[in-house]
Amino acid sequence: MLRFKSLTWRLVFLHIVAVAVVAIFLPLVLFWLLTSEVNHLHRDAMRDQAGVLGERLAVKPDGSLTLNLPDSLKDLYSEAYGRYQYEILDQSGRVLFSSHKNGEPIVRPDGSPPGAIAGASVSKDVGEQTVRIQVAEDLAHRDVIIDDIIANFFRRVGWITIPVLLILLATDIIIFRRAIAPLVRASEEAKSIGPARTDVRLPTHKIPSEILPLVTAVNQALDRLEDGFRVQRQFTADAAHQLRTPLAILQTRIETLGDDGGTRELHADIESMSRIVRQLLEIAELDTLVLDPSETADLRAVCAEVVGSIAPYALAGSKDIALRGTNDPVCIRGNAEMLQRAIFNLAENAIKYTARETSVDVEVNDDGSVRVRDCGPGIPAGERGLIFQRFWRGDRRRTDGAGLGLSIVREVVEDHSATVAVENLPSGGAQFTLRFQLAGEMPADKRQHS
Amino acid sequence: MRLLIVEDNIELARLVAASLATAGYETDVVGSVGEARDAVRSVKYAAMILDLNLPDGDGLSLLVELRRRMDPLPVLVLTARDGLQDRVTGLRNGADDYLAKPFAVVELVARLEAILRRPGQLLGSSLNLANLVYDTESRQIFIDGIPRVFSARETSVLEILLRRQGRVVPKKNVEDHIFGLTGEVASNAVEVYVSRLRKQLGEYGAKILIHTIRGVGYLMAEEK
Repeated sequence: MLRFKSLTWRLVFLHIVAVAVVAIFLPLVLFWLLTSEVNHLHRDAMRDQAGVLGERLAVKPDGSLTLNLPDSLKDLYSEAYGRYQYEILDQSGRVLFSSHKNGEPIVRPDGSPPGAIAGASVSKDVGEQTVRIQVAEDLAHRDVIIDDIIANFFRRVGWITIPVLLILLATDIIIFRRAIAPLVRASEEAKSIGPARTDVRLPTHKIPSEILPLVTAVNQALDRLEDGFRVQRQFTADAAHQLRTPLAILQTRIETLGDDGGTRELHADIESMSRIVRQLLEIAELDTLVLDPSETADLRAVCAEVVGSIAPYALAGSKDIALRGTNDPVCIRGNAEMLQRAIFNLAENAIKYTARETSVDVEVNDDGSVRVRDCGPGIPAGERGLIFQRFWRGDRRRTDGAGLGLSIVREVVEDHSATVAVENLPSGGAQFTLRFQLAGEMPADKRQHS
Repeated sequence: MRLLIVEDNIELARLVAASLATAGYETDVVGSVGEARDAVRSVKYAAMILDLNLPDGDGLSLLVELRRRMDPLPVLVLTARDGLQDRVTGLRNGADDYLAKPFAVVELVARLEAILRRPGQLLGSSLNLANLVYDTESRQIFIDGIPRVFSARETSVLEILLRRQGRVVPKKNVEDHIFGLTGEVASNAVEVYVSRLRKQLGEYGAKILIHTIRGVGYLMAEEK
């Protein structure tokens, strides 16, 4: 059997099969019914005629029978007319009267007439004997109107079943689609479910009761998944929190040691560990955070804050950082705090890789884009797709990062339906470009519908 | 000067107290919201270092309580919580500053002193950086102990940068600080004053640098 992915098409296919079967058999059955009804009518007519003949039988004084047919009846059964025949037999089967001369029985002993004739047989008591009166009609000469109806049944009447069945099919397709509509809506809803949106449940409103158990089961499975996700996120967040206090103790204790050899390295170790802990927390938060689509942020203000907060670290490493581009606010769709983290991670990365005595540029443009440029070694073309993965580190020998910074950038970008592009500058160094949606613009996915 | 440390981790509290003692502060350590509430009622502290995750409740609730009864006690929030909303919530609830764990004690002390030097707070009126001393009351500037004369506007620029030394001061803030909120300001006025200040500091031998963070503002730091 054919396999259809679509429930509608499966139903429609089965329906077409059923309609085809009905379209073939319904006319046949109707034809059979019509034919048998016609035969029935004929037999009744024959029986009536036999009754009329019976009334013309009379008993002679010698006990024998006589048949007095009026001329009108004689004409009806005349061999010249050739349509009707009769025979009257006695109990022993001897022919007493017959419309034809050859004396062959017109009705077989089993009651069915031989050849293309149809007839009826009735018994009648006349005087002291019982006779059988048989009347037959030659089918070759039957009633022309009725025969025409039967002969033209398929051409004149039978075809009506086809359009009726087609209309039924079309109606049923509409009914199927309507019945499936709540499922289509449920699937649309299901599309939005992801790690960041585990709160979505399939609507049970209007779902057919046969499918409701499935939808309910899916919703319950989602409940359990959400629990799992929450426990996981909570664990990440708790673990990061719990690490912070011991790190603080460690850092403070090292500070009390004074400036003996080695403490500088220990501080650097603690700093990179602290950064990993901070980034793990950020990731755990980003996973749960749902962006309010109406929220807007001033991209320039966000970048100014990022540049301001990174500047002391940059200066400490004999590097510089500058904010360039427009001086006016750039209002985009998004959450300022999240944007700040993404841009902070890009700028922090840029400061890490840019050479000493060079500058990192953060450029804000009024089209909603931010460019972060450094004067470092750039990023090999083969690695550009990989750098946004969690725990990716371009240089495994470096120990000052866990490779989480850019994955945070990617997550923020995805949450904001923004884009991120990486390229190497002709002068060397990498340039990251983030493009956000201006606050006045419709989101890209909604724009197509309007 | 006495500080209150509200921190439930005894080891961390002890270490912070020891470091603050080295920096010249006396401290009392409590480990819960309840104890902190009692301590604040009975002793007049110069400032409070407040952890947020405490065994008997949220440190923020104590902060809200203090501010509701108009207690101006400077509070530096110190916490492992550093979530998207936590910092904002903390500051909005009346924290004077916020430091996430882990932190450098040097940073803690610097932030504390910045809070304590705010108008009306207890720490002395002088701001120091390298060989420069600035008296916020007399608005006098000493370099290597020698009083130097700066114009009123340049002194204002110096003061605001000095108060937030090591951190970037947005150009807009400098502008507001010099000219107030009224009056037209020439677009390059701040640049002019900063460059004059920079030149004079150089002439007087101050070991201080004013970094320009292009597009953002200025940062004052010790010359290395």
